[in-house]
Amino acid sequence: MSTKNKKVMVIGGGIAGLTAAWELSRFNIDVELIEKTPFLGGYAIRYCCKATDECRQCGACTVEAMLKNVVNEPKIRVHLATDVEKINNSGRLSVDLKKSSYKPDSATEGVIRGYSKNNSPLHVIVDKEKCEENPDAVPEGAVELDTMGFSGKLDVDAVILASGFKPFDAEQKGTYGYEKFPNVVTGMDLELIIRENATVVRPSDGKTAQKIAFIQCVGSRDESLGNLWCSQVCCPYALRMAERIKHKNADAEITVFYMDIQNVGKDYAGFYEKCKTEFRFVRNIPVDVFPMENDSLSMRYMNEEDGLCINEEFDLLVLSVGIMPGPDNSNLSDLFDVVLNEDGFFAGIDKLNSTSTLKDGIFLAGTVAGPKDIAASMAHAGQAASEVIKHLGVS
Amino acid sequence: MTDMKNTDMEEINIATDVLVLGGGLTGIKAASEIAGSGYKVILVEKDAELGSQKGPESLIGLEEEYKGLQDLDDKIKADSNVEILTQTSLVSTAGVTGDFIARLSKGEEVIEHNVGAIVVATDFSVGALNEKYGLSLTDNVLTQSRMDELLASEADKEKLANKTVAFLVGLGQEGNPLVLERVLRSVLALQEIDGCNVYIYAGELKVASNGLERMYKDSREKGAVFFKLTEKPEIVENGKTISFFDPVARRDIEISPDLIVVEEEMSANHLNEELAEILRIDVGPLGFLQKDNVHFFPIRSNREGIFVAGSTREISGLPSAWTDVENIAVEVRNLLGDGKKSVAKNKAIVDEAKCVICLTCYRCCPHGAIYWGDKKAIISPVACQGCGICASECPMDAIQIGGFDDGAMSEEVKNGVVSGNGTPRIIAFCCQNSGFEAGEMADVFKLQLPDGLRMIKVPCAGKIDIDYILNAFVAGADGVMVMACHPGNCKSENGNTYAQWRVNDAYRMLEEVGLEKDRLCFVGTASNMGSGFSSIVVDMEKRINELGLSPLK
Ligand SMILES: Cc1cc2nc3c(=O)[nH]c(=O)nc-3n(C[C@H](O)[C@H](O)[C@H](O)COP(=O)(O)OP(=O)(O)OC[C@H]3O[C@@H](n4cnc5c(N)ncnc54)[C@H](O)[C@@H]3O)c2cc1C
Ligand code: SF4
Ligand code: SF4
Repeated sequence: MSTKNKKVMVIGGGIAGLTAAWELSRFNIDVELIEKTPFLGGYAIRYCCKATDECRQCGACTVEAMLKNVVNEPKIRVHLATDVEKINNSGRLSVDLKKSSYKPDSATEGVIRGYSKNNSPLHVIVDKEKCEENPDAVPEGAVELDTMGFSGKLDVDAVILASGFKPFDAEQKGTYGYEKFPNVVTGMDLELIIRENATVVRPSDGKTAQKIAFIQCVGSRDESLGNLWCSQVCCPYALRMAERIKHKNADAEITVFYMDIQNVGKDYAGFYEKCKTEFRFVRNIPVDVFPMENDSLSMRYMNEEDGLCINEEFDLLVLSVGIMPGPDNSNLSDLFDVVLNEDGFFAGIDKLNSTSTLKDGIFLAGTVAGPKDIAASMAHAGQAASEVIKHLGVS
Repeated sequence: MTDMKNTDMEEINIATDVLVLGGGLTGIKAASEIAGSGYKVILVEKDAELGSQKGPESLIGLEEEYKGLQDLDDKIKADSNVEILTQTSLVSTAGVTGDFIARLSKGEEVIEHNVGAIVVATDFSVGALNEKYGLSLTDNVLTQSRMDELLASEADKEKLANKTVAFLVGLGQEGNPLVLERVLRSVLALQEIDGCNVYIYAGELKVASNGLERMYKDSREKGAVFFKLTEKPEIVENGKTISFFDPVARRDIEISPDLIVVEEEMSANHLNEELAEILRIDVGPLGFLQKDNVHFFPIRSNREGIFVAGSTREISGLPSAWTDVENIAVEVRNLLGDGKKSVAKNKAIVDEAKCVICLTCYRCCPHGAIYWGDKKAIISPVACQGCGICASECPMDAIQIGGFDDGAMSEEVKNGVVSGNGTPRIIAFCCQNSGFEAGEMADVFKLQLPDGLRMIKVPCAGKIDIDYILNAFVAGADGVMVMACHPGNCKSENGNTYAQWRVNDAYRMLEEVGLEKDRLCFVGTASNMGSGFSSIVVDMEKRINELGLSPLK
């Protein structure tokens, strides 16, 4: 059989969706890539390089490379600001799409920018009125969100669900004071702070943060929330960012509050040993955070040696938020008739093949099927592409 | 991208047979997938039986799935596309991607095969860690493997009733999720046995794998007691008692277990290093056959057409080995296609008149893409990645890289030295994978950049000849920057290292002609460092301003 006329829909333009789309296009398969927001890249396109005097294998730069592949590949048709409406499953899969109801979190000037230079369009107008007030601030080539999005029906031979995850909403852990105290940030915020500023400053006063605390497992491994999984990425990203901070600022004092540190990189034991010489590790998760006058934060935790409580002050507190099931999982599960597992991620047919589903023609790629880092999401997407190719009988 | 559109393409024939090394479950699966997409596979196993390598450790928790695998051995034997060679090992390889010659020895016999691609699928080795805890193995002190065996037999299982069992994990090694998964599986199984009490002395719990945190919780709910320690407990008389001081309860906690189960370590196969030498691929951390370089993940080695699967490249259970195999199946099809490959004629051209077959290029090519004939070195257009390290290292300047030949490059340097209205003229040689992307990002995001900055794109920092740097100064540049990938992130592995060496050489030469060292710099960059790029070049401009414009112009 030939690949002529074979068409696959990939839902979600994060690193998993990008990789799946790219792998399929290399087999001459037409791909319809559906992305809910106005930009491709998902979460991983906003991450910083965590290299010290050497690469730390965080994988963030590989997302840039894959995005570039995809936007330059004519076999991949990208539909931004588009969402799935309905599935009609008869012979070929027919999927109804609609303009997504995407709303940005915040947009000063009424324009938002993609995180990568490879985003196309790069600027999207989300608030026309604001833009009209100050037309000079509107970059050339900016596209109005209202004009974006695709509605209509597309017939495809298979669908890959790659709609990703949601970072844990740190406000749910109210005692940490996220969104209340300016110098409490999440790992996601810190990624962007470093990416955009090339240095770590306190949000409250723009000063270099000297005394920094990381709290691990925020939202993950948490029985009280019913989140019985390790997110697998937060120890690696926290330690890598901490190393990067320390490399740029040898005077920075970094403390990591943790339960169990998960392995980072191929030489994990060596890496952890190095970290132990540079940061203080405290095997205790603090519960309460109090604001100080200078916008610093005081934390209470239990000392390991004597079991007594201590108070300590920090300039900046980083909450290592984890990977939660995507906000659309239950809706997509209903639409595509594919079951979720007990944690709320999509379930594959078995442990060895977690990309195929019980539903013929529907496949999974990336964190939609459970916590993964960038490299694992890409590998999973490659596996999904392989299963799709077999399914289509492409040769 | 290189100017592929303008270059002439040619079609060449390549071998489409595939060699799979290792007849464990991963190797069998790889053979079956690759044969399934229509290629002939030679599956090589050093032992007498296929599948014999599979230890129970990679099957932990996959009992259901394993049932489906039982016939994999039989299926592969019946597959006419697969030739199975047991008691066989690889003795040497020659040639390049698309045209490897593999020499195999089976007893006395030596067999030669011409293959297009090679898949390495060796298993990890398992070792007891009792000595790390000062324990000797006895009937009461068991390895995890021994415990797995006991639990697999109904008769042995009965004997475990009413026993107190202590597990030691994560205190004799850093550990990994697979080690923990084996422990949790046995703990859960023991809790099904009447009167069994289970204690786990654990260092860090490596729960970073799907389902482990839940198993951890289930086992605690069923009564298993976990002691999370930062150092080994005190073990007396080969495990008669185990004790430690609990800082919260402020007292010693002592237990006298009937059985102690000691964790095992998983390490790289002892055959890996030899295989790496034969295949001319790199050995990575801890003896696994993949460098810690994101561009190789998941399944690439440093040589195009040689792929590494599962435990060959890192400690991996079957699920991730399966993921690897599917990725390899896709890559093999991309590489071999129908045996005809369209390649750019001018990817890397060796000038016969200049080449003296000194083999510098053969030695320095990180992709193993070069071999030689009677008259000159030959660069395989399939294996070559166009990095240009060879071109810059060749003492005879006999190699030119398509799209980046020396003539064009020096022209670009000359044109790049432009007046920035009295501001410093800075030439930045930028790797197309990192520095150039970062620079474009800074530009597109309208971040601050010096007026006199010109970026010159190179395929890899390893292509930056020392002549390029010196010529830039001769042409009047006030500063020269070499912007490579961070160490450990070069797609060609050590292109950035070569660039660093050349910059170091250039420092010496600058000194000789009396130019300040600060006019030249080497920096590691990544494609996502737009703001980083901006601050680096702005700093450079500042430094040059302090020195003043170049005396050479
Ligand atoms: C704070 C933090 C830091 C991290 N740092 C690292 C790191 O340094 N290194 C690393 O390897 N990993 C890191 N990770 C993990 C990394 O983010 C993930 O592995 C990766 O982003 C997963 O990619 P994905 O494509 O599966 O999901 P996503 O990135 O979530 O992408 C999914 C995409 O699908 C779209 N989508 C969702 N629903 C729909 C719908 N209904 N229709 C259409 N489109 C839809 C979304 O808009 C999004 O673009 C980090 C994670 C966190 C939380
Ligand atoms: S640290 Fe991360 S972003 Fe930086 S070079 Fe390495 S993999 Fe790329
Ligand atoms: S990776 Fe680390 S921080 Fe994240 S959930 Fe797992 S143990 Fe907690």
